[in-house]
Amino acid sequence: MMTATVADVHLSLPARAENVAVVRHVMGAFGEALALPRRRLEDVRLAVTEACTNVVRHAYDEPDGLMEITVHPREDRLEVVVADHGRGIGPSVDRAGPGLGLPMMATLCDELEIDRTVDSGSRVAMSFSRGMA
Amino acid sequence: MSAPVAEDRTPAGPPTSVSIASGPLVGPVLRRVVGMLAARADLPLDRLDDAILVADLIAARAPAHVRDDEVRVDFQPGDRCLDLVIGPLRAGGGQALITDAAVPGVGNVIEQLADELDVRPEGEDEFLHVRLTYDG
Repeated sequence: MMTATVADVHLSLPARAENVAVVRHVMGAFGEALALPRRRLEDVRLAVTEACTNVVRHAYDEPDGLMEITVHPREDRLEVVVADHGRGIGPSVDRAGPGLGLPMMATLCDELEIDRTVDSGSRVAMSFSRGMA
Repeated sequence: MSAPVAEDRTPAGPPTSVSIASGPLVGPVLRRVVGMLAARADLPLDRLDDAILVADLIAARAPAHVRDDEVRVDFQPGDRCLDLVIGPLRAGGGQALITDAAVPGVGNVIEQLADELDVRPEGEDEFLHVRLTYDG
């Protein structure tokens, strides 16, 4: 179970496609500051990008809903939580069956927790070891 | 210090907010967010560099003046305009942060680079508003 402590970094952004790039770019700061191996950093960026993209695509009907990203660097791992206040994770409206996003996130991180509640949003918590998996 | 907001160039909608615990991540995170949002605001390269310089100064100086050992900045990119609101700061922290931005031999960097700069009290806290624009 991931621990809940004071967040080291918290971002709150309108859930728009262009802001996924902002989050992806910010994750590079952790690679720099924490000296993450390059491949590990790419895992983090890809998984977080996927989680944010899910928020942009699925969470809100109205514009300007928020996506919230919280990052906790730990001694041996990096914890990232991507949350929204929308309808939560659901099936895609433009394709049949589940997509590849969640399985991919599960593969890229060491620990994955998904909380979804209808009408109160979703929360995807990922934990990445700071060395190579 | 006080300067009136001359023109509403910012779009409606929620700002992008970043909160960072004081420490080594403040600079790397802030400069990335500022760089991306300045580019989105269509600021030219020299003003984008100015914005990153302001971000670096905030990262270096703001931790001494924040309320809760956490640097929070709200960003609102607009039409060739980027607004930053730094705070909550302790009482007197807004002006102190501006004063701390003085660099020997250069002068006060934030005052020179910002198009608008004002300290807004809110209860016992203060918020420093910085606006960077390009009118060329």
